[in-house]
Amino acid sequence: MMEKKPDIERLVAEGAKTVSLPIADEYRAGVILNIERTLAIVRPLLDLELDDALTPAPVFRP
Amino acid sequence: MTDALSKLATAGDIARAVSTGKAKASAVIEAALSRIQAAEPTVNAFTDIVAERARKRAAEIDAGRHRGALMGVPFAVKNLFDIEGLPTRAGSKINVDGPRATRDSALVRKLEAAGAVLVGGLNMGEYAYDFTGENSHYGPSRNPRDPAHMTGGSSGGSGAAVAAGEVPLSLGSDTNGSIRVPSSLCGVFGLKPTYGRLSRAGTYPFVDSLDHLGPIARSTEDLALSYDAMQGADTDDPACIDRAIDPTMPRLGEGIAGLRIAIAGGYFAKGAEPEAFGSVAAVAKALDATKTVVLPQAEAARAAAYVITAIEGSQLHLPRLRTRPQDFDPDTRERFMAGALLPGAWYVKAQRLRRQYHAAVLALFEEVDVVLAPATPCTAPRLGQKMMKLDGVELPVRANLGLFTQPISFIGLPVVVVPLQCPRGLPIGVQLIARPFNEQAVLRVAAHLERTGITSAPPA
Repeated sequence: MMEKKPDIERLVAEGAKTVSLPIADEYRAGVILNIERTLAIVRPLLDLELDDALTPAPVFRP
Repeated sequence: MTDALSKLATAGDIARAVSTGKAKASAVIEAALSRIQAAEPTVNAFTDIVAERARKRAAEIDAGRHRGALMGVPFAVKNLFDIEGLPTRAGSKINVDGPRATRDSALVRKLEAAGAVLVGGLNMGEYAYDFTGENSHYGPSRNPRDPAHMTGGSSGGSGAAVAAGEVPLSLGSDTNGSIRVPSSLCGVFGLKPTYGRLSRAGTYPFVDSLDHLGPIARSTEDLALSYDAMQGADTDDPACIDRAIDPTMPRLGEGIAGLRIAIAGGYFAKGAEPEAFGSVAAVAKALDATKTVVLPQAEAARAAAYVITAIEGSQLHLPRLRTRPQDFDPDTRERFMAGALLPGAWYVKAQRLRRQYHAAVLALFEEVDVVLAPATPCTAPRLGQKMMKLDGVELPVRANLGLFTQPISFIGLPVVVVPLQCPRGLPIGVQLIARPFNEQAVLRVAAHLERTGITSAPPA
């Protein structure tokens, strides 16, 4: 089954309401563009399968 | 030894001259202030100059106070470092309305305790969410090699001030590459130490999980001198590690004997312009490095660093995005707003990958000591340029200049960027990467490359 393209415009409208972030009309296209760019960049992370036992380091130590 | 009053003098040159009485700190500072005045109309690296403070401090040094390894060395800091009496801009207009700093940041205090003299605060991309060095409030910092081009960011002023010879030493911050990108594009030396090695106390944060501080300079020796002066635990920064100081200066001249050096393949060997790979090949040849290693899942690591940055940075600024969106730089505002809307599940997955990737990369460092990788995918783009073509693919400049630096800072590895100058073109840098807390190794390799003439500070 083909993955359905996310409705970013709606995500921005509803998400902004959820986090109480007013987004003026003149900023809306830029926000949508940035989410689209983010989606393209994060795809390799989203496509990964991680073992359930893999938890984040409680305190990150390099 | 270069004349201590010259723009080509390194911090080491100046400290040796002042400590032996061959030059006065006051004269060194006056020379630096004159150079700043002359260069600023073109370079725009500084947002604040603290001339009277610097003159007072220099006079105290000449009177026999404040001895140390950086005696009389003028330095400047990215304007997210607290400077007593000034607002901590962090590249923003909004922060200027906030309180003035009541105390210098921890690293400014440490450098001054070693005899260095602060001369000012430096331009940067707003709130450090930037790889370009552009800023709509204060104007862009401009690349001294060609002012029509970017410095890189977000520590753009820190790279430009050193490349222009205004000061021999600056401090920057690096969350995803903000020391390494301007070091590469301006053609200077940069050190991003191990995460947690240097105190971030008294600096304006961006992404706590990934924020690092470090020096930019005209020589490897200056990186080592300043790094050694800044090491040490600090309970004022919860991420700062309580670990014994490991001075790098005593072993800086040891050369590369015994160091296993490899070239990063896979992700780091594609998606860039030929000059990025050419610079890595030149450094590898000079080091006789032929082995290639692959950092597993580097592309996903870059994606995870991107997500953590977007979500943590946006969360930090959400109150101001609600109340003062018009006062943000247009180039950061909508990026921050977008980050505030990303799913929390992505963030947690990114942090889980961080642990897995960290373990895998540390295993790789059982086989090698230093890994070479491009610092930037290209030389400095033109100011105002929004898109660039990398290996035939059109990509946004602002989000992608750090695509080779992000997977490294994601797990806090120490990196030195060494610059390769191009007589008829713009410089570009190479990352020397080591396992955590092995700054020693990358500084030794950088010093070796400098001695052999492969890497050098910009010409006059």
